[in-house]
Amino acid sequence: MHIDQLTLKNYRNYPELTLAFENRVNVILGENAQGKTNLMEAVYVLAMAKSHRTPRDKELIRWDQQFAKVEGHLTNRNGPLHMEVVFSNKGKKVKLNHIEKKRLSDYIGSCNIVMFAPEDLTLVKGSPQIRRRFLDMEMGQIHSIYLYHLSQYHKVLKQRNQWLKDIQQKKVKADPAMLEVMTDQLLHSAAHVITKRYAFLEKLQTWAQPIHYEISRGRENLKVAYNPSCNVSDDMDLSTMLIALKEEYEKVQEREMQRGTTLIGPHRDDLSFFVNERDIQTYGSQGQQRTTALSLKLAEIELIKEKTGEYPILLLDDVLSELDDHRQTHLLNTIKGKVQTFVTTTSVEGIDHDMLKEADTFYVEEGMIQKKG
Amino acid sequence: MQYPQPISKLIEGFMRLPGIGPKTAARLAFYVLDMKEDDVLDFAKALVNAKRELTYCSVCHHITDTDPCRICDDQGRDRSVICIVQESKDVIAMEKMREYGGLYHVLHGAISPVDGIGPEDIYIPDLLKRLQDDTVQELIIATNPNIEGEATAMYISRLVKPTGIRVTRIAHGLPVGGDLEYADEVTLSKAIEGRREL
Repeated sequence: MHIDQLTLKNYRNYPELTLAFENRVNVILGENAQGKTNLMEAVYVLAMAKSHRTPRDKELIRWDQQFAKVEGHLTNRNGPLHMEVVFSNKGKKVKLNHIEKKRLSDYIGSCNIVMFAPEDLTLVKGSPQIRRRFLDMEMGQIHSIYLYHLSQYHKVLKQRNQWLKDIQQKKVKADPAMLEVMTDQLLHSAAHVITKRYAFLEKLQTWAQPIHYEISRGRENLKVAYNPSCNVSDDMDLSTMLIALKEEYEKVQEREMQRGTTLIGPHRDDLSFFVNERDIQTYGSQGQQRTTALSLKLAEIELIKEKTGEYPILLLDDVLSELDDHRQTHLLNTIKGKVQTFVTTTSVEGIDHDMLKEADTFYVEEGMIQKKG
Repeated sequence: MQYPQPISKLIEGFMRLPGIGPKTAARLAFYVLDMKEDDVLDFAKALVNAKRELTYCSVCHHITDTDPCRICDDQGRDRSVICIVQESKDVIAMEKMREYGGLYHVLHGAISPVDGIGPEDIYIPDLLKRLQDDTVQELIIATNPNIEGEATAMYISRLVKPTGIRVTRIAHGLPVGGDLEYADEVTLSKAIEGRREL
């Protein structure tokens, strides 16, 4: 899958812009604060109908304007595809092949994206929230039912937390039937979310392991583990998971009522990464953590290909120069001739020459973009 | 520019209704100005009468002009089944079907701690009182298929099941007459979950 043409109107610092792209590596070159990341974000927005940088859609609209529009002509294996997102103060509208889609879920997933940005380098080291977000984002792209269960989970969690808080503050009495209902509802969604996460991670690991092995020149064996906040495991099916979770919630219910919040569940779960059986969050070097982040992203590309039959579009925002030559070469070999890639950088120095030879280069300056050569 | 007081009061009145913003309210208000006086009077009377003459049934809490309501009073109906719904509108929808011959119980809401609504804030205690004699054999819970409606259904079933009364939940899944291919993934997965033996 690739973008043939991208059109922006009143988007961030771009009043109007149309760019044509080839199905290859596109290097976006420019000084800081000229609009490189805005362009990457626009591609992301075209696919996901929201930004990866801000939850507030209004920020995407150019200053003093009424609306912002991102439009793309794409090609997938079934032929041409037209996608369009418009943001205004009334909200957003999405169109697929010029037909408006009332539900975002009918739109998202038409174009898959894998993004690798500087914040992804903190995937291993950063807070658990970053790792949960990584899971939810990547799974959501290929697994719409997962998103449904996740959003149900968060809705029930909100209700349950409010109820626990009311009990803690003695606003309501601790009705045992209510506790049972709130917990049953929660663990039902939780079981779906957790079993699906286990299944996804197993797949992700099968793809990431050989990739990591090769980037590390055969020295490192990567393992990804799910760290549940309670006593469940990957060999449980949905019904045994439900029974196990029920027991776990019974154990903590007294404490939950004292603390006024839900203490266990997918919203508290985490991921760990092991290289040669050692937890690299604690013991890994910077380089190992980076390699792991890169391996996972590359694994995702393959996973999406496996699930959808099509390679996603890869966005590399300001990360290429962070990787050493060997990792860059590996990256290049993985995407060569298969994955349309957008790369932003402030200078071509430190970027693999073979990669540049096969790439188109665009210069960005104050919201204007020119193709070189 | 300020509207004269009578019309701005009218606009404010319309704006209090759900789904009506300032523009629609102004359009409605100006339309009223152009109506014949008799029509306006009829309209105003209808509003006041609806409020004055309608009450809630003391048994099932459905809107009614007699107490108990016509449904509760109808001796031809099956008194062993009660269908539990969230709103009066849902009773009307069920009655349109003309297939259901039992009684109703309107909760006027669903359990939602976030909105400060607990089991005691909707007519669940009243429902339990209705179940004290042995006439009722089955409860059909027809609350909405969302988190709050589902929590309410589960809650009622927890309380009632031990008494031996049969508690059932209406099915959800594919719409009748619809094509499978147009259903979204979530509805389909729900339909698979709720499949039954043939």
